[in-house]
Amino acid sequence: MANQSGSVYGLTLLCPIVKDERAVPSHDLQIREYLATLPTDERSPFAAAPGTHLARLVVMDDVIYVGMPACEEHLKSKYLIFETNCDADIDAYFTGLAKAIPEQLDAVWSHCTGYPGVRDLDAFLSYMKACQLETTFFFAAVNDKSVTDTLKALQTQRAVADFIATHPVPGTVVDAATTQREFLEFMKIVEAAPTPRPGLKAGSGASRREIQTGGHNE
Amino acid sequence: MSKLNATDIQGFVLRGYNMPFARYCFLRLGEPKRARAFLDRLLGVITTGQTWDQGKPQSTVNIAFTHKGLTALDLPIATLISFPVEFQQGMRARGGILGDTGVNSDEYWDPLWRDDDVHAWLGIHALSPNALHERFTQVQAMMEETGGAKLLDSEDAASLVIDGKVTLKEHFGYTDGFGNPDYLGVERSTQPGQGKLQDDGTWAPLATGELLLGYADEAGELPVAPIPALLAANGTFMVFRKLHQNVGTFRRFLNEWAARYGAGDDLAREKLAAKFIGRWRDGTPVELSPERPDAAIAQDPNRSTNFTYAQDAAGTRCPIGAHMRRVHPRDAFGFKGRLINRRRITRRGLPYGPFAAESEGAATPDAQTLDAEALDRQDRGVLFMVLNASISRQFEFVQQQWVNYGNDAHLGNDKDLLMGSHAEGEKYVVQGDATADNPPLVCANLPNFVELRGGEYFFLPSITALGMMAMGLVDPR
Repeated sequence: MANQSGSVYGLTLLCPIVKDERAVPSHDLQIREYLATLPTDERSPFAAAPGTHLARLVVMDDVIYVGMPACEEHLKSKYLIFETNCDADIDAYFTGLAKAIPEQLDAVWSHCTGYPGVRDLDAFLSYMKACQLETTFFFAAVNDKSVTDTLKALQTQRAVADFIATHPVPGTVVDAATTQREFLEFMKIVEAAPTPRPGLKAGSGASRREIQTGGHNE
Repeated sequence: MSKLNATDIQGFVLRGYNMPFARYCFLRLGEPKRARAFLDRLLGVITTGQTWDQGKPQSTVNIAFTHKGLTALDLPIATLISFPVEFQQGMRARGGILGDTGVNSDEYWDPLWRDDDVHAWLGIHALSPNALHERFTQVQAMMEETGGAKLLDSEDAASLVIDGKVTLKEHFGYTDGFGNPDYLGVERSTQPGQGKLQDDGTWAPLATGELLLGYADEAGELPVAPIPALLAANGTFMVFRKLHQNVGTFRRFLNEWAARYGAGDDLAREKLAAKFIGRWRDGTPVELSPERPDAAIAQDPNRSTNFTYAQDAAGTRCPIGAHMRRVHPRDAFGFKGRLINRRRITRRGLPYGPFAAESEGAATPDAQTLDAEALDRQDRGVLFMVLNASISRQFEFVQQQWVNYGNDAHLGNDKDLLMGSHAEGEKYVVQGDATADNPPLVCANLPNFVELRGGEYFFLPSITALGMMAMGLVDPR
């Protein structure tokens, strides 16, 4: 099944954006304006949505044929593209989205043709699935672990590094049995620790939006 | 493809001069007419890529321009806006991408680089201090007589002299300057390991367009370049970064962790130093000789850069995060190395400041902290230059993804130990195995070994382009 790579699901939606010449500003611009306000760090709505490895929203205006001879083609409407790598299965994923971030989903998708809203969960699920395309490429860094397992593993990795760095205290000599006992106690604490929240820490500067990259002459 | 027209390419692009003295002058251009007159005079002494059949000259001269410099030369607006965005913005504005934050942020830069006043880089390399002085005086006279440029500041660099011998070492004690890529058409004594990996395990030169504008690159496309094409062809982009080295911090850090590594003796210390970078300090690749430095390998061009990492996926020979493996991963990411062929850079550079004798900063543990801080404050480092066809695709990518991030290497958020811009609580993992001589080690609380003191992005034009600029002939139509 192409949408699935191990336990990770690759989801691609193409949702037609409402075409209404009387709407000012147009619906696609309203989506763009809203998306531009969404944080991309731990405050992102998708950090609150369970099981999201990565999510991307794009407004696609049209297609441009690059090649020779030039050939003019157009889409029938503008589309909202939603791509995510998430923990399968997608029914559970969409339900989780609907529960965790209903306002944000409605704020974006209410500009899409035929969107029923999240209040009617069954209609929401069948709408989203009706817009699905097959996914064959995945984000390379996503491995076969769930989001929770990944976060926990990163937490453990960092904690073990800290343990190694501080045991034994530099300059002291401690017998192996003591170090082992301390390690076992330490592992209990690590295992009991709550799973960290997903997303980059707010204010870490890692998601500076003012830097624009990817222009045609870059 | 046939041989390049080396007489139209600035020599600095085609070869590392391997001269022990250099002065990099940073100029502000005068009004356009005078600036053009200066360029016209300078053209007569610019060093081209022509081979040195009569032996090395006493000195060389090359020039490159910032976007502000090209603007000051009154190039047509249609040309100015056709340059790549990152070059138009300049290095300071790209700090968020490059990880130039914390101690590397522009508030700590030398005043020269904070003012955004630099229009041109003028590089003089020489075989002797006298030859350097002579050439500098000549160029200075051209600037004064034409009124075309003013010297804002300059940086002197020189090969490190250790125990009376001129070396290829940098301040941390590593032998530097082994691997630069080979490019199609560039006449150079090539050696295995310096181009791109072929399916049969041999190495071939990279496409010319990875280094020079106007030629096909590894994707079979012409690199993004300014118009007119004649202005761009045979030119390239250069990154200049003044990197201060905290030698005291480095030596203290190495001593501290070496005491906990393997036998904790001198060999363990050297081995750990080698595990940081991927080469023993004499240059022997750890991948080829994991137990000890081997001058026979380091000195042999057929072996010193001829290795891959596929057989060492766990990093037990060369750690996965070692500097050399990060910035040139060869086949480490699979796909027979194809993922990295568009991320290669050509490096130039020389150290500045005197070498600190090994005895400094390695005193008793109590005195170490004081010694280290004093050593750190001394002015020394490397004037690091990168040549590439696309600063954003090549240099910025390497800096952002491979130096200041670890995801491609499956190292999470870990950064390059030596070059990374470290925040609090970062670590470096030395992978090991079950033998006593090769244990794993986690070095925690990484300090910043290197601090950026400024720099800029430059356009290094061809001889033809310099002529067009000097004569006011740049016409984008």
